Amino acid sequence: MWTKVLTGFGYWDVYSWLAFFVIAGGMVFFIRSLGRKDYRQGTEQDEIFYGSNPVPEDGEDLKVPASSAYWGYTQALKPFYEGLVGLHTGLATDYAGWYILVTAFVALLILV
Amino acid sequence: MIGNFPYLVVGILFVMGFIGLVFERNLVKIAIAMSVIEAATNLFIITLGYRTGGSIPVWTMAGGGSSRMVLPTPQALTLTAIVIGLATTALMLSFIMMIYRHYGSLDVRDIRRLRG
Amino acid sequence: MNWLDHLPALMLAVPLFGAFIAPLTAWGGKGLRNAWFLLVSVVFSVLAILLWSRVGAAGPLIYVMGGQGWNIALPSGISIPVRILMEIDAFSAFMVLLGAVASLAGAVFSVAYMDRFSGMEKFVALYFLMVTGMFGMEVTGDFFNFFVFLEISSVASFGLVAFWRDRGEALEAAFKYMLVSSLGAMMVLLAVAFLYSRYNVVNMATLGKVIEWGMVEKTALVLFLTALAMKCGSVPMHMWMPDAYAEAPAGVTCALIAVSQASLYGLFRVCFTIYGAFMGSPVIPWVIIILGILSMFIGVSMAVIQKEVGRLIAYHSVSQVGYMLLGFGVGLLALGDARAMADYGFTALKGGVFHIVNYTMYKGLLFLAAGALFYATGSRNLNEMGGLARRMPKTMVLFMIAAAAIAGLPPFNGFVSKLLIYESSFAVHPILAVFAMVTSVLTLASFVKIFQTAFLGPELKKFAGVKEVPGAMLVGMTVLAVAIIGLSLFPTWSLNNLVEPAAKALMDQTSYIGAVFAAAATGGGL
Repeated sequence: MWTKVLTGFGYWDVYSWLAFFVIAGGMVFFIRSLGRKDYRQGTEQDEIFYGSNPVPEDGEDLKVPASSAYWGYTQALKPFYEGLVGLHTGLATDYAGWYILVTAFVALLILV
Repeated sequence: MIGNFPYLVVGILFVMGFIGLVFERNLVKIAIAMSVIEAATNLFIITLGYRTGGSIPVWTMAGGGSSRMVLPTPQALTLTAIVIGLATTALMLSFIMMIYRHYGSLDVRDIRRLRG
Repeated sequence: MNWLDHLPALMLAVPLFGAFIAPLTAWGGKGLRNAWFLLVSVVFSVLAILLWSRVGAAGPLIYVMGGQGWNIALPSGISIPVRILMEIDAFSAFMVLLGAVASLAGAVFSVAYMDRFSGMEKFVALYFLMVTGMFGMEVTGDFFNFFVFLEISSVASFGLVAFWRDRGEALEAAFKYMLVSSLGAMMVLLAVAFLYSRYNVVNMATLGKVIEWGMVEKTALVLFLTALAMKCGSVPMHMWMPDAYAEAPAGVTCALIAVSQASLYGLFRVCFTIYGAFMGSPVIPWVIIILGILSMFIGVSMAVIQKEVGRLIAYHSVSQVGYMLLGFGVGLLALGDARAMADYGFTALKGGVFHIVNYTMYKGLLFLAAGALFYATGSRNLNEMGGLARRMPKTMVLFMIAAAAIAGLPPFNGFVSKLLIYESSFAVHPILAVFAMVTSVLTLASFVKIFQTAFLGPELKKFAGVKEVPGAMLVGMTVLAVAIIGLSLFPTWSLNNLVEPAAKALMDQTSYIGAVFAAAATGGGL
């Protein structure tokens, strides 16, 4: 029950991972305990730094929307993504068409 | 040759159904194409079970009956498939009806809010 | 006779009975209906566990509907297989167990999630019909019944996807799903007819015994392969999947995942048990591997750029199914070659089977968490969400567990099955493992995206009134989270007891076929 999972090439041992997390957690808390002791909640110390500008009231004006996530990645792969999104036309007939096409293609591969 | 004629019909029906399914724009016509494919499948199965000159496939344990019977299993399969086909067709048509209420159109090109 | 002998029949009868009684519970009000919903779900889950442990102890189980033997002897002495036969080997029992757990979680979640809506007795009836269809596909030993159950589960799921029929999108998704799905079901029927035309049987075990490798069989195999691969959402036939999964109510999606796994089960039953060693050429295994690679990569690429929570997670379903197809494809490639099988084939099969259980659990949980977000905020759009960790800490923790598991972060279970698949596919060709790993990286990236935009970030004013979701929804999610943690902490136990018997059953064609004929020889199936 407490043994490793052998994959034929390597192994997976969840308990060493758990031990790792315990040790790493201990180290994190140790380093944290070395930190400054004069932090107080609710004072100016935990105020948001917003480039010295007034911080907006609503979080809506602060947050990064999901569509901005991985902007660089999608920008770099723009041709790939344009092609890919272009394939997902949303036409019901295309869905059926792809299915028939794949069936025909696989049939061609194996029958010929 | 004439014995293979039903298979030819099945083939033609399938091709017609596929073409309708892929190239038609109207949802109702797509539903019709789907029904044509169902009919083709059913015809195919029923033809498989047919034996020339066969009698109805009722075999009593007491014996008797013709020595040649059409196969009973395909008929059972087809009956079930017809019932299922009826249900799916009805459901599909009611979907189409409700889609028309929401989108005001039956053209597949208009019914693509979900994409990408 | 022990009532446990009737487990296979009860597995179908209980949810079916539940479905037909459900409309009547409308008279008893909300309480009765919910009680019925939960009671039937718990009962079939318990039955699934019993069935699984029985199959594990006694080997493949044969059950004949309404009779002792599976064949009928005519006065002339000919013995023909006529009865409705069910056969449950370790792989089927494993799939039934998974399906039951996912359906139970979906049912518990739906009790609270769907509380605001009317027509719930119909919802419950459709839900149980879908579950019946799923179990039927997994326990049947007969191809025609497989088709019938496939249609039952599909038609019920069309209705469930379109349950919120005041939303045009839900109807659109249901229509698209229905179109490809009925076409696929027709192709399955056609394949059954092809095999029937050649061998005059629709019984899986008998077919597996007599089948040869000819033109008709090839055609039937292609039809089965593409139809069932479409039903489990492999690229490029996956496009219905994000639509349907994102638009269905979350509890339904959780069960729909298990239903799509039943199609996967059918695919591998056909490939391994019926065709098995007769799979002379490596074409079909490679087709499965390539479908798997495409699904993994394209699915996850599309997921990264999605803006809706449901669609993002649904595209991940496509990519996770790719992992299973890859694992099983590699296993299929090694089938019939004892040395390759021992080297990497069996590892790949184990990885594939283990990935099925992992996937069903964490993907169900992810959809439920996405449903919880929708329930609390009324929005599906990630762009509008933010700062919800303050409002919904429990949902956040549950989501985190599932996201870490799907991304394969240690110490969670997702990595174990992926590791098995990586290492075995590496033995076939390194490029396969490369694709699998890139997919894993992008998976992590897209879940970081959901987590960051939905849960982290500054508090939003419009969500000031958002509260944690009701207890029943949390319980539904916790069922799956506990399963994930259990699978993570005891990987050896789960591999030895859950996965290996299933993988062995899949690999061992003769035991599936032999069980039926042994039962026939002794004159009794029970």
